[in-house]
Order: sequence, then structure tokens, then C-alpha cells
Amino acid sequence: MSLLRVDELRVDVDDKTILNGLSLAVDAGEVHAVMGPNGSGKSTFANVLAGRPGYDVTGGTIAMDGADITELAPEERSHRGLFLAFQYPVEIPGVSNMEFLKAAVDAQARIRGEDEPSAPEFIGRARDAASRLDLDVDFLKRGVNDGFSGGEKKRNEILQMLLLEPRLAVLDETDSGLDIDALQVVAAGINAFRDEGNAVVLVTHYQRLLNYVVPDRVHVLTGGRIVRSGDRSLALELEEKGYGWLDA
Amino acid sequence: MAGSTPDEAAVARRLLQTGPNDYAPWFDRNACTAVIADQGLPAIRSEAWKYTNVGRWYETVLEATRPVHRETVVESPEEVDVRDFSDTRAADLFGPQATFDLTRYPLAAVNGLLLGAGLAIRVPAGCQASQTVRISHLPSAYQHCLVSVEAGAAVELVEEPSPYTHRIVEAVVHEGAVLRHRRRQAGASTRECSLVAVNVATGGRYELSQLSLGADLRRNDILVTLAGDGAETALQSAWRVDGRAHLDNQVAVEHTLPGGTSRQTYRGVAAGRARAVLNGRIHIAPGAQHSDATLSTKNLLADATAEVYAKPELTIFANDVKCSHGATVGAMDEDAVHYFRSRGIDEDRARGLFVRGFLREAIDDLAVAETLGVVV
Repeated sequence: MSLLRVDELRVDVDDKTILNGLSLAVDAGEVHAVMGPNGSGKSTFANVLAGRPGYDVTGGTIAMDGADITELAPEERSHRGLFLAFQYPVEIPGVSNMEFLKAAVDAQARIRGEDEPSAPEFIGRARDAASRLDLDVDFLKRGVNDGFSGGEKKRNEILQMLLLEPRLAVLDETDSGLDIDALQVVAAGINAFRDEGNAVVLVTHYQRLLNYVVPDRVHVLTGGRIVRSGDRSLALELEEKGYGWLDA
Repeated sequence: MAGSTPDEAAVARRLLQTGPNDYAPWFDRNACTAVIADQGLPAIRSEAWKYTNVGRWYETVLEATRPVHRETVVESPEEVDVRDFSDTRAADLFGPQATFDLTRYPLAAVNGLLLGAGLAIRVPAGCQASQTVRISHLPSAYQHCLVSVEAGAAVELVEEPSPYTHRIVEAVVHEGAVLRHRRRQAGASTRECSLVAVNVATGGRYELSQLSLGADLRRNDILVTLAGDGAETALQSAWRVDGRAHLDNQVAVEHTLPGGTSRQTYRGVAAGRARAVLNGRIHIAPGAQHSDATLSTKNLLADATAEVYAKPELTIFANDVKCSHGATVGAMDEDAVHYFRSRGIDEDRARGLFVRGFLREAIDDLAVAETLGVVV
């Protein structure tokens, strides 16, 4: 049974069809890259997986471990182990990053019937994750994404992923806006996260992240559906020839 | 009494007929009687009462019984001299305070005639900012606290939630003194008006941190006069109103001498059918050069049925000053709520976190906030 299985997904936004029969299956232990040109529906796909309001699912299903999650609330999907690293993380002044992270980790613990981690234990974990991502400890005290640089926001997403330990991480253009050093730090974070029990879906426009996080499968999304799938060499081919080549 | 309505006229008539009560006879009520006799009480829909139906408060004034605590509950450090107005020596602690003009705050005249609980609080030099005077309850619906923070002294004054019909807190912050004033106003079914009037002398500082939930009717008049060179004030107020609650904050900061600094920060959340008002005035008198004044008010409308009125008002009569203001009203950031939810935080908690973060920009006293139920 696939960890993630998307069947014939159709999604409208403002009465315009964006996803038009998208199907994808990802097994535990795998990394899949979903690539596509601008406007192909990549971000819509990522957001629909996370249950963002404003997207109208008109057909098809999304399942995790065989259970249909198409209609679940965002927090319920999170409780089942789904995580979306946002393309544009939201700035929330007044709520410290630490407070936010603790609230999230506590919510997950409660759902699993585990004890919430103690404050010192949690702070230790958060500091450890921050240092792995080359983030200063003060970063945890600042407001959520408040005044963060583009690179800091992306690293903050990966930090959350490391702390929440999801089973399925969907990374929406996490590589965009990163300089090469930050890209390597983020890639190292993703590689550290990968294991046999979880899976990663990388949604990206460019293949450069794939130099550092090597995918098991590469899919090309155009016109709201997967038009081609292959191994890593497909990404390299796209880099060389562009997306136009697929229409030929 | 031009523009009288039966409500205000009825209250004025009743007060003038009855005259002042016999509590604390040393406390001069002649001015109160004169103001009510000469100018009457504010009419419903007068400019100062545009957003609050003062007639509903008059109803409370005319009621025979009101929710009142039976005893005085006040904690204070040893060095601080606290006396009830019934103690004639209370009069000795204070000269004339004149922190406000009764003709401008005529409800204070109503308070004066019906006064039933007064405290004179003198904070001597040597008192430290870490020391607290805590006013929990006073045994009358009409209350008056006089606070004098003497030169170089510092103190924290805390007003705990407690029902009243009208409360006055007057304070004089003498040279180089500091008064940290924390006001806590819980949600209530009462109709309450209050006046805070503070004079800050040279080098003195007055800080207000006010956290309010709505009441059936709640009106806070606040007047801070920077009456000395380099006097400072920082007013920080956060509120959350829901249901049919009503909260009207009328704040005036007056820079009367040069070099004063004022910072006003307001953050409010209105939900349900509640109404919240912030009228924030900065007045810079002629000659008050090098004044530095800012006012920021941000409001969150949690429901389309809630109402917010946010009005900064600047009157500047000096030409070398820094003065700025900003006012916003917006809805809850649904992207932020989704962001929280996507991390497994349920919707109610997500909204609560967002609101708390928003209010925290004005007031960072979350333990109290949670006690008052400000946080979901």
C-alpha cells in the first residue's frame, strides 16, 4: 500500500480547472520530484494535499496509507503525518517561533496519545535542529517568520519538518530564493530526514535541488496532470531541453 | 441646559436635589455641583459620546442597587501611605491635584456627588518600581483614588477587575518619578465608566498597561498631561470584545511643555456584535517644542458583525516636533490560521494563538491575559 496515493485528482480554483486528473503514488522510503513549468499546477497540488481552503476538489481522491484524506481538515492531515513546507511561509508577529513550534509538537503528541515534551526537552530538540540548519538560537525567540530573510523562512520550514517528524513531507519550491550555501544546508536537512519509514515529495521548477537530494522518481506536471514519469535522468533531460520539449 | 434629554436632565435634577452625601466631607464637591448646575451632563449623541449611549449609563446611576463589593481590598508596601477618604488626614496627603478639568469630564462630577469610596495613596521617595500597590475592591459604586508619586520614587499600581459605576484614578508623577499602572478589566454585564488623569512632571514617566474585555457598557477616559520638560508616557492597551460587549476608549495625551515623549500603542480584537472604540488624541501645545509623539492602533475584526472605530486625532501648535500616527482595521489573517492548522494545531487554538500574538504587540502580560480569558 502506498504511503500517498492520488487518483485522478481534479481541482478548480475560482471556477477554473487547475488540476485535471492528476495521479501519483509514493511509497515509504521514496523521494519523488514533481516538476513543471510556471502555471502547471504544482503549487495547487501541494496546497490541495495540505487541505488549504479555497481549492475546490471536483473529482478524484487523495489517500494516505489507504485511507481517504480528501475531505480532512488541515490539522487532521497533519495528525496523520502530512507536512507541507510552504512556498511562502506566513509571517506572524507576536507569536514566537518557539511558542509556535511547541504548540505544534504538543498537538501532535496529544493526538498520538504521548506526553507533551517538557519545556527543557523541547528547547534542547529545537536548538539541536536549529544548529543543524545553521540557524542562530535567537532565531527561535523571534516572531514566526517575522522579518526573516527568504532563506531563513525556508530553513524554518525544514526546522519544523525535523521537529514534527512527518511521514510524508511535501516541499513546495523550498529551493526557490536560496543561495547555494543555503541550498546545501536545506538539502542536508532533507537528507537527514529521509528514512525507510517516510517519504518526500519535492515540488520544484528547477532540478538544481535534485543535485543534492537525489529523487527515486521524477514526474512532469503540465496542464494539471502528470504527463511523464521517470528516474532522475528525466530531470537532467528537462534541464537541458526545457519543458517545451514535452509538448513536441 | 441646552440640548438636554430627559435622561441627562433627570440625572442632573436628582443629583442637585439630593446634593453630596456625607462621605469624606473634606473632599470638595462644590465644583461638582457647579458643573452639573451650570453645564448639565452630556447629552446622548453629543460629540464626546458619539459611540457610546451615555443614557444607558445614566440608567445605572438612577438605579437604587448596583453590584458593589462590600469591603476595601488593597495591598500595599509598608512605605506607601494609603488612607481612606473617611480618614480626615487623607486630606493632608494632597494639595489640590488639578489633573483634569471637571467641565471637560462632567461624569467625574457625578462621581464626586455620589462618592462612597476614596483612597489617598502617597508613594514616598525611596520606593522602588518593584513594589506594588494593588487595588482589588472598593466598597462603593463611585470610587476615587488619588495617587502621588513623590520625586524620585517609583511604584507599580495595579487595578484588578472589580465592578463599579464610576471610578477615577488621579495621579501626580513628580520630578523624576515613575508610575507603572496596570489596569485589568474583566468581561462584565455592568455599565462602567472610568477616568484616569495623570500629570507627569519634569523627567517623570507614566506607563499604562491596560487589558480590557468588554462590558455591557465600558467607557475609559484617559488623560495624560506631560507637564514638565522631558516628561514621558507610554500607553499600551489591548482589548478583546465579543458578544454584545461595548468598549469605548477615549485617550488624550497633552504635551504642554517642551521635550515630552509619548508612545501610544493599541491593539484590539472585536468579535460577535461587539463594538470597540479608540479615540486617541495627541495635543501639542504652543511652545511644547521637541515633543515626540506616536500613536499606533491596529484592530482585528473577527466577525463581520463586529464594529470598530479607530480614530487618531492630532492637534499640533508647535513647529519643531515629531508626531506620527497609524490606524488599521482588518480581518483575521486566514493564511496564518491555515499555517498553524497545517502544523496540527486545531482551528480554535490557531485563532487563539493568532489573537494572542496580535494583542501581544501592545501588552505582554500573558499570564494575566489568560486569567481574564483573553486567550482562547
